[in-house]
Amino acid sequence: MTYASFIWTNIARNPRRTILTIVSIGLSLFVLSTLMTVLTELNREPEGEDTHLRLVVRRATSLADRLPEAYAAKLARVPSVRLVHALTWFGGIYIDEGNFFANFACDPDTLFAMFPENRIPPEQLKAFQAERIAAVAGRKLVERFKWRLGDRITLQGTIYPVDLEFVLRGIYTGTDETAFFFHRAYLEEALGRPGKVGTFWLKAASAGDIPRIMDAVDTLFKNSDAETKTETERAFQLGFISMLGNVKTLIASISSVVVFTILLVTANTMAMSIRERAREIAILKTLGFGRRRLLGVLMGESAVIALTGGVLGCMGARLFFSVVDVWRYTQGLFPIFIVEPSTILLGIGLSVLIGLASAALPAIRVSRLTIAEALRRVG
Amino acid sequence: MAIPLTYNLRNLQVRATSTVMTALSIGLVVAVFIGVTALARGLEEAFVTTGVPLNLVVLRQGSQVETSSVVRRDSLQVIKYLPGVAVDSVGLPLASPELIVLLNLPKRDGGQGNVIVRGLSAKGFELRPQVRLIRGRFVRPGLREILVGRAVAERFQDAEPGAALRFGRSHWKVVGVFDAGRTAFDSEIWSDESELAQDFDRADYSSVLLRAESGPGLHAIQQRISEDRRLHLKALTEQAYYAEQTKAAAPIKVLGSFMAVVMAIGASFAVMNTMYAAVARRSREIGVLRVLGFRPGSILLSFLTESLLLSLVGGVVGCLLALPIHGLSTGTTNFRTFSEVSFAFRITPDLLLGGLAFSLVMGGLGGFLPARLASRQPMIETLREG
Repeated sequence: MTYASFIWTNIARNPRRTILTIVSIGLSLFVLSTLMTVLTELNREPEGEDTHLRLVVRRATSLADRLPEAYAAKLARVPSVRLVHALTWFGGIYIDEGNFFANFACDPDTLFAMFPENRIPPEQLKAFQAERIAAVAGRKLVERFKWRLGDRITLQGTIYPVDLEFVLRGIYTGTDETAFFFHRAYLEEALGRPGKVGTFWLKAASAGDIPRIMDAVDTLFKNSDAETKTETERAFQLGFISMLGNVKTLIASISSVVVFTILLVTANTMAMSIRERAREIAILKTLGFGRRRLLGVLMGESAVIALTGGVLGCMGARLFFSVVDVWRYTQGLFPIFIVEPSTILLGIGLSVLIGLASAALPAIRVSRLTIAEALRRVG
Repeated sequence: MAIPLTYNLRNLQVRATSTVMTALSIGLVVAVFIGVTALARGLEEAFVTTGVPLNLVVLRQGSQVETSSVVRRDSLQVIKYLPGVAVDSVGLPLASPELIVLLNLPKRDGGQGNVIVRGLSAKGFELRPQVRLIRGRFVRPGLREILVGRAVAERFQDAEPGAALRFGRSHWKVVGVFDAGRTAFDSEIWSDESELAQDFDRADYSSVLLRAESGPGLHAIQQRISEDRRLHLKALTEQAYYAEQTKAAAPIKVLGSFMAVVMAIGASFAVMNTMYAAVARRSREIGVLRVLGFRPGSILLSFLTESLLLSLVGGVVGCLLALPIHGLSTGTTNFRTFSEVSFAFRITPDLLLGGLAFSLVMGGLGGFLPARLASRQPMIETLREG
């Protein structure tokens, strides 16, 4: 009889207990993978080759205040700035508030040059650029509302006192496929041309130019009526995440509670099954099994159970969140929610460790018992 | 006849390790449940308790929050004198035109936070009886002076009497701290309306706060305002306005209840394991009980009770573990107004009861099948075993 088959026989002898333990561990690891994914998604770095070249310029006072559109020309003249793009958060509501998605007023001519990670068929791009009331939307957003090209879509302004009607002319694909873009000129016209822009996005010629551009821009508008704050796209994004509050502490504390719960559940199961087997273990000892081997068999059993639970829980989480659209249930907080392979590996590794740790104590205790004592024990 | 409860208690004592581990795993699930609910409740409460019953907030039609609302100065003259608006002792209408400015200020723990600066007049204070000055004095008209809410004083740099904050075109001297009884106003900075309007070049107000004379008067005012096509305004009761913003807590609630449910299923499986082991080990005892004349129903009830007791111990442990977070304050952003709100975890007696009930559900779910198994064991065979 090999060790592997010996361990397997032990696992299979009380299938009900084994299954209950595996499912219990699996569910805990499912929760753990979800929590870890919340952290990964909040810290997800923007993808695409150009992201490290992008900068965001906003009003120093607050994101709610806007910049004069005349800044565009001045920004374009800052050395090493390759591209300037005006982007304004419109915050419109589609039919009712529950349908939240991000919608922006943009410059249609430079939108896809600024965000090349988003792709769109050339004829759709042309149609979008040609018509003042045209709009483009991400694939996921289009699927959610079952829109088709040519559909009329009305967004009710909340920040701005206007309702705007658009015609869907393009569908883009990319990393975040949940946003909606339309012509800034259309919004300006509807508002009576106030000439304001929410943010300017800049693209630097090279990553080395970024610190210089940040300085140059903020100095240029220092002491003007609308001072600016320029930061990298990553910093801009992190600013939003820090606004959510102390999410890291919250998630870390819940995660540690979950890990401890798994430890308790596994340890309890192992303690129960080892206690019931005290006599058997004594017999194994009489047959000449050493202490180390016995420990190995018991801890191996526990590790296999925990590993199975871990694999089920982590892979289950990956599968679950590839089907369930988290974006819809969190009011747009997570446009992407993928349980990454690194998260799965971490979860599985953790479950094996927990398995080993939880068998350690009862296994050591029972392997230390003298044969006579163990045989005398009442099951 | 029922099997005495002491039988269950003794059994739980005999298998102390197993009892402690199972109860503790239930306790941890209960603690997470209470903690997350307390977080969501604290956030909701900061908004819900903000409104005063007869107060109305007047906003631009189509805007949901004061930060994106505009009320023209001439509109104020119309709404102020509408029938049904309450008046003060000298006969002036209780209406406070207010201006909202959003600011990005450095926090004490590093980083930046967005704060609402509210410009108002003395009437604004009168309309908000829950707000009390706890340090310093009120602002004097004609000076660039501000009052800071209790939570702002705690969380933002230089937000204390004697210091000054630089925003707009001026240095604003902090002259006092007010306490708004844990409502959303605690996270605001208050100043004189005309000073703020001058400094930020704002021609119009953001909103108007009104007091209605009575309930029917309140509805009449609401109707008059929404029907007046020249105004393009709407009036919400202050309570409804802030209750609407409790939706900020929705993602926390979704995540929290999702986790609680999944973990509870896991924990009830752990209970099931423990109880199955207990039944297996005591099969002879069960046989003896049957021989003594206890019916299968009593045995089922006895094992179920044992499981419920076990989980109740866990529930109590969970409550005790969660209690220390009560009152802990933290902050998040209200993405509707784009400003920080500070709030505290709130654990109320009914939440603790909820936690205990939650633990009993886990115990019931986990204990039922093993208890049924125990009651169905054939009497004679169990006695013959071993």
